[in-house]
Amino acid sequence: MPNSKRTLRLLVALQDLDLMIREAHDPEASGEEKNLGFSLKNLETLQTARAKLAEQIGPRWLSLYERISKRYGRAVVPVEGRVCLGCFVTLPTSMAPKKLEDSEIQLCENCGRILYWL
Amino acid sequence: MSPTATVLPMSTLTIMKEAKLAACFGAALFVPELKATAKHQVLEEMVDHLFQNGRVKDKALVLEMISRRENLGSTGIGKGIAIPHGRSLAAPELSLVFARSVGGVDYDSLDRQPVHLFFMIVAPPQERTNIYLPVLGKIVEKVKESRVRSKLMKLDNLDELKKVFFPDAQ
Repeated sequence: MPNSKRTLRLLVALQDLDLMIREAHDPEASGEEKNLGFSLKNLETLQTARAKLAEQIGPRWLSLYERISKRYGRAVVPVEGRVCLGCFVTLPTSMAPKKLEDSEIQLCENCGRILYWL
Repeated sequence: MSPTATVLPMSTLTIMKEAKLAACFGAALFVPELKATAKHQVLEEMVDHLFQNGRVKDKALVLEMISRRENLGSTGIGKGIAIPHGRSLAAPELSLVFARSVGGVDYDSLDRQPVHLFFMIVAPPQERTNIYLPVLGKIVEKVKESRVRSKLMKLDNLDELKKVFFPDAQ
């Protein structure tokens, strides 16, 4: 698997995990799950998994991810019909998903978020 | 004088929410008999089913997320039911898969009993319809009834699944 594609997958996994951690610590979201009878007892396993995952991502991409997350909440956003679903701006036609996704990680030219083509 | 019962009409919002939920169950996927005999195999088979049907973009990413959620706490809620669920960017829309194992699978459930009925819910981080938790709630509410669980063990197709959860829907 090309290095950029691997990094993008790791960034998506990290963001999925960050969302899970956020929801597990959010009294409203976790409260609803607990009320339905689900157990959320091993919170520390998520933090350990996050640290391991973050280690696999190079410092350049990890710091970019952390910076964008801090600013917007979500660093990696889906692209649907050429529209960045972070800022809802239409991306230029030169950004071709299939070809470029394998060779480089793309950022939205408008908001700077990391793009994930659906 | 006998007391008279007042029947209040369902609010438009409730009707809309029920319609959204029904549509979600109507679009569900169905695995009548799982090949899997272990918990991780069940998750893999169900995620694979989602992938084969074009519901998720990346099988490994979704499986990783679902497995992490299981590590947080088993979604085997007892009485032979498990509802693995979670959110991933690799899922463009909310998807539901119903799967069954007549023999049962050891799933590390709350009651330590084998699981026969599985509902997997995978949703994007921010789904527009906002029905992730209501879908979860609907399943939990319904499967509490032993009559419903018996029906689920026998049903043959997705129309029947929808009827079990929404008996009044057209």
